[in-house]
Amino acid sequence: MSSEEQEKGYKSGLIRSLNPKGFNLERYTYMLHRITGVILALYLIAHIFEIYHVGLAVLNNNPQIWYSTLAELSSLGILEQIGLWIVAGSALYHGANGLRLILNEVFGMLLGKPVLPEYPYSPTSLSRPQKAAVYIITAVVVALWIWAGLYLLAGLGVI
Amino acid sequence: MPSQYSLLKESWVMILMYTLALIMIFVLTFHLLLVSPLTGKSFDETLSYSFVVHNLTYYRIVFGLLLYAAVIHGMNGLRIILLEWIHPKRAQWAINLVIIALIAVLLAIGTYTLIVV
Repeated sequence: MSSEEQEKGYKSGLIRSLNPKGFNLERYTYMLHRITGVILALYLIAHIFEIYHVGLAVLNNNPQIWYSTLAELSSLGILEQIGLWIVAGSALYHGANGLRLILNEVFGMLLGKPVLPEYPYSPTSLSRPQKAAVYIITAVVVALWIWAGLYLLAGLGVI
Repeated sequence: MPSQYSLLKESWVMILMYTLALIMIFVLTFHLLLVSPLTGKSFDETLSYSFVVHNLTYYRIVFGLLLYAAVIHGMNGLRIILLEWIHPKRAQWAINLVIIALIAVLLAIGTYTLIVV
């Protein structure tokens, strides 16, 4: 690969980092952790502005300010519920996977013993307990996410 | 003290990220429980004015803790992602500045809301 091609590859880092081709299990969890983190950060900004209207309602002694904010959000229809469902799933995954990362990075748990690198260089961090933790987290998050979805659909009167 | 833990180094910021994440595990779970079916209310009922104001007033300290932990953890997370993708020094300096300003604005709005409620 020429240096020009390498430079081109470097510049397209953002797109390449989102291309899951060739990722191992840990890299999938890493990518999902980042995507859910961005979703949550953007929702947090919107949520703070949303709750600000409760403050305005209290300050003006006018609950209608809060209800008109809710009405504006409700005007999105099913999109509002889908958005909340995505946020709920993001929070569940980011929290559960974050706990795993804290066990890994702060307490050094779930990691394999360090060994000299030998071809084909399979990462020791992907030990059996690590894989088990990822699968358990995925199963619990999916179950809770389905439950959250049913709860939101029930709120719409769909079920 | 090892050099990698000198004051204002990113290693301290990472320790802050882990600490805030652990705090949020508890306070965010509590927040989600307040809008869950375990309250005995429907999702719409948990958004009623009286219920929201009651929660914000009664659990003001918990929500304050959540506000500060979530804003600092979340915005610093965005900063880390942006810094890994955007490398020119000037751009990184601008990203740091914008994120600090964003944290200040969000904390000001959130704190104001918690005080007036």
